[in-house]
Amino acid sequence: MRLLILLLLLLPAASAAADDADVEMRVKPVLCITDETTPSCDMAFLVHWRSEETGYYCLFNDFGGEPLRCWSDEQTGEHEDERSVTESFSYWMSEEGDSVRLATVTVEVLRMDTDDRRRRRRTRHVWDLL
Amino acid sequence: MTLSRLLVALLALALVWQPARADESAEQESRWELGIALGYGIRTNPLVLSDEIPIAVDLDIAWFGDRWFFDNGDLGYTFADNDYVTASVVGRFNSDRVFFGKTDTEFVTAGLDGAALPAATLLEIPDRDYAGEVGLELLAGGRWGRLQMTTHHDVSGTHDGFEVHVDYGRGFRQQRWYVEPSIGFSYKSEALNDYYWGVRPNEASAALPEYEAGAGVNVHGRLMLGYQLNRSWQLALVAEAERLNDEAFASPIVVDRTVYGYFLGFGYRF
Repeated sequence: MRLLILLLLLLPAASAAADDADVEMRVKPVLCITDETTPSCDMAFLVHWRSEETGYYCLFNDFGGEPLRCWSDEQTGEHEDERSVTESFSYWMSEEGDSVRLATVTVEVLRMDTDDRRRRRRTRHVWDLL
Repeated sequence: MTLSRLLVALLALALVWQPARADESAEQESRWELGIALGYGIRTNPLVLSDEIPIAVDLDIAWFGDRWFFDNGDLGYTFADNDYVTASVVGRFNSDRVFFGKTDTEFVTAGLDGAALPAATLLEIPDRDYAGEVGLELLAGGRWGRLQMTTHHDVSGTHDGFEVHVDYGRGFRQQRWYVEPSIGFSYKSEALNDYYWGVRPNEASAALPEYEAGAGVNVHGRLMLGYQLNRSWQLALVAEAERLNDEAFASPIVVDRTVYGYFLGFGYRF
């Protein structure tokens, strides 16, 4: 039981937060699971950021060079990004006109299916859980 | 995982291990499946004078080559694989032996047939060996679920019997949540059933009557519930029940008709 409690304490949170420099960013969800019945993640990713200083900030992701959204003279902001993804990708915040990433959060896409039919079709042994 | 199963796993690991080549694509699916689950669970023991089987650690060691594979104690060679069926020859150890590793010895004043004994008599549950078996495995799967049909025959001279096993399961995923119910049955031949559940004349005593078991069919059901915590960790709950066949349950060394088991723990996939 002590081991279970220790493992529970060591497990990371279900949502990820980045706190580089003085900008904090949170993204939900940060994990998406695909399998043979759901080959892609069609989701609305909610990005929330907050800075210690008021400024001009922009939100980017791996899918394009243009910002998803920019905020002027703001200290906090929120953006919902609907997209369909099959690979892990990142969101990040930068100051407007600057390429330095102030905070980055990676959304992981976990593929649970397999190309090997034996792995898909074999019954796991009685206590094989994974 | 029993010690023998672990030893077989490590042996197979040593035989098939090859370091990754430098030009191997990072996107290529690994041939290995390695995992460990830590938690708490038990499996009940249907034998008289026996203890439950505790489960604290579960290892998952599997390797899938183009034809050969090793999957947690099963060593196989796939000779047909298409959209309809996957057929393999598989070698394994029979799992019925596991109950006989957790038995006690006691002095009793009544026999297992209920008759009073004139004096306290030592009652010892007979020991049984693992059987090395080889057989044919047919797999099918699709959106309707997956079906596994196997038939294995003893090749180690332990019980000289065979078993036909059928299992159907279907998984349902809702993002981090995964539920997989499965049901099935196992036909156990007379020779197999009698080896494990029978009591031979040289094992019988005033406390333990002789018994000869015929063939029978076990029925089983299983439910797995998983919650993916992150890329590597998941929380898993597994519950299962297996109803022993009439011939096994009628044995004087069997006291429970159904074997229950559960496990709750954290699984880590490497």
